[in-house]
Amino acid sequence: MEFINETIDTAQLPKYEDVVLTPLHPSYFKIIMFNIGLVFGLLAIASGAGFYYIKELEPYWLTITIVYIVVLLFTILMCVISFKNRGFAFRAHDVIYRSGAIATTTTIIPYNRVQHVAVHEGLLSRKLGLAAVEVFTAGGNNSDIQVPGIDKDQAEKIKYLLMGKINPQQDEQQF
Amino acid sequence: MNSNFSQPQRQSLIGVVVMFADTFQGTARALWPFLIVWIWKIDQYNKLYIALVVLSVILLIAIVAYLKYLNFTFFLDEKNEEFVVRKGILNKSRIAIPLDKIQQVNINQSFIQRLIGVHALEVDTAGSNGKEVSIRAIKESLAVSLKERLLEGAQEAIADDNEFAGESSQAKQANRPFIQISLLSLVKTGITSNYIRSFAVLLAFMITIFQNLEEFINASGYDDNPLDNYINADVLLQFISFIVAAIIFLTLVVNLVRTIVRYYNFRITKQQNGLLLSYGLLNTKNTIIRPEKVQVVTVGRNYFQKKFNLNDLKIRQASGMEANDRDQSKSAIEIPGCNETEKNVLLQFLLEKIPERGVMLKPNFRKIIFETFKFLIIPIGIFFLFAFKFTPFIKEYIVFVPIYGVFAAILIYFAFRNSRLFVTDDFIIKQSGAWDIDNDYIAPHKIQTISLKQFFWQKGSDVGIVTLHTAGGTISFGLANFTKLNQLVNYWLWQVETTDKHWM
Repeated sequence: MEFINETIDTAQLPKYEDVVLTPLHPSYFKIIMFNIGLVFGLLAIASGAGFYYIKELEPYWLTITIVYIVVLLFTILMCVISFKNRGFAFRAHDVIYRSGAIATTTTIIPYNRVQHVAVHEGLLSRKLGLAAVEVFTAGGNNSDIQVPGIDKDQAEKIKYLLMGKINPQQDEQQF
Repeated sequence: MNSNFSQPQRQSLIGVVVMFADTFQGTARALWPFLIVWIWKIDQYNKLYIALVVLSVILLIAIVAYLKYLNFTFFLDEKNEEFVVRKGILNKSRIAIPLDKIQQVNINQSFIQRLIGVHALEVDTAGSNGKEVSIRAIKESLAVSLKERLLEGAQEAIADDNEFAGESSQAKQANRPFIQISLLSLVKTGITSNYIRSFAVLLAFMITIFQNLEEFINASGYDDNPLDNYINADVLLQFISFIVAAIIFLTLVVNLVRTIVRYYNFRITKQQNGLLLSYGLLNTKNTIIRPEKVQVVTVGRNYFQKKFNLNDLKIRQASGMEANDRDQSKSAIEIPGCNETEKNVLLQFLLEKIPERGVMLKPNFRKIIFETFKFLIIPIGIFFLFAFKFTPFIKEYIVFVPIYGVFAAILIYFAFRNSRLFVTDDFIIKQSGAWDIDNDYIAPHKIQTISLKQFFWQKGSDVGIVTLHTAGGTISFGLANFTKLNQLVNYWLWQVETTDKHWM
């Protein structure tokens, strides 16, 4: 009976699924493409060397090339979908991050459960002025959120915002 | 011998034996690949030479053990309120633990320690995993008074702003166990649970024996397996039924022995706003459970255990921050063989009230389809692919395919039927399992992170999986109606974000 009371409440509660998520910075797509290019470039060089030195591989060159192209196209497609899928939102009380291509995963961390916040910068992202914000909880590695492709100034602001949200409560949290 | 802990002191002298055993074990563990090789080639070496090597290794270990003993000191620094341990032979280290950071102090006894009459004292801190300190050999009276002193300091700090403070004085009076698991309950638990685990242990054991037997037969110079000549259908049938009966019997025996050795004389005592569990036949273990640290409580039982009125409790506490899921399930504390009343008393103590079931959520029937793909179609498909394309010799095992299929189908069906999520204001209960039916209880304010997962083909049918992460492991439920899950997630988020209760 108690819960029926709450069901009315739940209908009025703010809905996480209605939140409009901020997409990642468009420049971040360049980083993804660069990474794909790097991996597949190395792969191409390796297989090229393989064809040159190992004569037994020669009859399979067509199969290998087709597989290579298919995998490449599939990877690019997945990355495009996953890039479009990704988004984040910092609400008043929690942070939401959505990601994934085949499976969409939405992760939500309430601020009063955040342990600490880190800002990462890769070599390439620094050139493009991007950073990643990582939010840690006590729930183990799988429960942490890493939001990549945020403008560097914004990332710092987010970090301070989160620190501000965590710190006033930290004194209470210790006993 | 009363307790002046302010001067650095060594462990009990007889503790050298424990050090020796520890060092020996460590060395053996590090060197076992070499040892095995040597044992195979033992005939090629001079016996005297081997004896000398073994002797000198043992001597070396003994010296190392003695040095370890000499260099290990501990004392209580009253001024700085720290517990200080110095150790190390070449790399000296000094570990200082502030008393208010001490979470719990456990006094344990392994078999060797019991033989020579000493105890181990372990100090658990709130910090990361590596920082714990353990004293390997200490007299019982000393251990108890040291434990009291250590927890006194910790307790003072906690008592300042802890509502439970009143309870600790109460707990000191009632120091006798309030729950004791009888030997009969353990026997019942032993013969009714953990079939799969014991079976796996047994299977590994049998395979090893079988391989050795085969090697022995080969080595003793028979051209072909001598058993072949004697086997006919009748004997084979008898043989197989004998083997099956033996496996069932041995599984039960292994289970029974394991349960009794591990959990003999299980006592639960209320102590300093926590529960003290002590148990074990050969190795006596002591563990403290603090209700505020408890994240997930699992009550499990199968059909037989239900008939016997038995429950297995698993309690997962918040551990170090970096611990992953596997560590956490390992560190779960088990209380076997509780009856219904004992279970309720424990739940009441750990969760502050006995959880009610409340609103029920069923999984979608697509869960069956999903699981069928995962456990039936894909594995069998892979088997046939290999059997007909790559490795034809595995065709011999094709008889096992229908057996596996029926077995998996039954499990999938029952797992689906038992899969439920119950939600009330105070608790989330997940019921799962095909044979052993588990109920996971978590309080919403223990949630750290919520994540929802949906494959793209599940968007149309509006189903998905929800995962609740706590500091003591995760709970997943699905596939279920996504709209309802979303409602629940919003509700839980609201609960977490408005609660003033701490997760630890």
